[in-house]
Amino acid sequence: MDTRSNGQPVVGLLYNPAVPYIIDQVGDLVQYIEVIPDRFWYDFGTDAQHGRFHWVHDAVDTLRRCAGGRVIAGHGIGLSLPSAMPLDAELLDQVAAIAEDIGFSWYSEHMSMFLTPHSSIPNAQAGLGLPVVYDMDTFEILRAKIRQLKDALGCPLLMENGSIFTPIPYVEMTEPEFFNRLYDELDCGMLLDLHNLYVSWRNGAASPEDYLEELNPDAVLEIHMAGGDELAGFYTDSHSRLTPPDVWTWAREYVPRFTRLKAITFEFHESYFSRLGVEGIAGELERLHDLAASCSTVKSEVYA
Amino acid sequence: MLEHFQQAFADLIASPELVIRVRDNPEIIRANYEVSDVEFHRLISIVNHPGMECNCMLYRANRLVPIAMNLPKLCQALGDDLNSLLSDYWSEFKRTDVHFLLESDRFLQFVFDKLERGSRVRERVGDVLEQEAAALRARIANSYSTENVKERQPTEDHEERRNFGTDKSPLRRGKFT
Repeated sequence: MDTRSNGQPVVGLLYNPAVPYIIDQVGDLVQYIEVIPDRFWYDFGTDAQHGRFHWVHDAVDTLRRCAGGRVIAGHGIGLSLPSAMPLDAELLDQVAAIAEDIGFSWYSEHMSMFLTPHSSIPNAQAGLGLPVVYDMDTFEILRAKIRQLKDALGCPLLMENGSIFTPIPYVEMTEPEFFNRLYDELDCGMLLDLHNLYVSWRNGAASPEDYLEELNPDAVLEIHMAGGDELAGFYTDSHSRLTPPDVWTWAREYVPRFTRLKAITFEFHESYFSRLGVEGIAGELERLHDLAASCSTVKSEVYA
Repeated sequence: MLEHFQQAFADLIASPELVIRVRDNPEIIRANYEVSDVEFHRLISIVNHPGMECNCMLYRANRLVPIAMNLPKLCQALGDDLNSLLSDYWSEFKRTDVHFLLESDRFLQFVFDKLERGSRVRERVGDVLEQEAAALRARIANSYSTENVKERQPTEDHEERRNFGTDKSPLRRGKFT
């Protein structure tokens, strides 16, 4: 199946230890794998005596087997680009090494803050990255770091919208304006996480439809779909369930407008694999293929 | 300045106690961080937003993950004392070690130190602590034995993936199985 020939985006999964099994069972449905580089090494810290990074080569070998014949992209969680501090150059070197080894078609990072000079915001299960201030200070921080990343990785770069529980007020730009500007000025595409929009909306943010209308559709190069859980009256991005119906409604209405879309990704956390099952995930992938089939109007110059 | 704003935000989600104090006395922010007026008002708005409760919960849940994964019996043995021990630990170590085994080992050492100072949980957790410490340190040693990065030659398949979506040679027909 050549999705490129009819201009459709590829469909796939965020890689986790359950994905090799899924590929063994229903590999035909998985055209694309999104890889979190940090999962393939142990980071012993900057003052480690025997080298900071120790790679888990068995895991890399398994990934390499799964990667055969599929599109692969990197999806970073460790660089925390919007933080007002320098990039972790040693970590970037490792990301560049795995990008070179596996062959990333593009690389995405989060528009969220996970690091400050004196602390970190862990992101182990339900997503928690702190929202960023949408102003020119943040934009200039990103301008410099995106250039560094592009130079190091040699592939296109995307930024992903986060789920937000506490919006930051008194900002210069809305989030869609900020992403549009990243695309216009820095040639940095958007990874649009539709479930993150749903999470923010469920927790009091403005209408996702308004958000999607404001977004430049040409900026969107990848879509994330996922499901989450209730937690003490809030709704979280726990990657624990299939995509909720509201998200599907937005996807069916807006995704065909994203004429440069390259990939649609279903995210689940491996700890919920037994709940979702291969059949559940296969069903979701089939629905994503139907969604991809609605995107047959890709501009020819994009893939020329 | 942005650096101080971000640090204040991170400190607040890590400390529900600080959130409560700032709600009562917003000037705590100006006393501890160099923030502009607009940054100050942003932080006060955030602190009083209902979603701050969720930020604090998720922070604690995510920091608990490595410890609960790697030291399940210790967590169980600590029982009602776990919550306050974790709060003390997270207050002292504000940055999670991304190597989850090392993060868990640091918490183990923290509990050991508490026991040395005569914590009342000693009798309940002593044996469990020793057992899980031994198992954890074996796993840490094993993680050290993995290799450092090696250079590899790119394959043809790799080159095609890197070129996907660019104006270089596209993926061939039938490559997506």
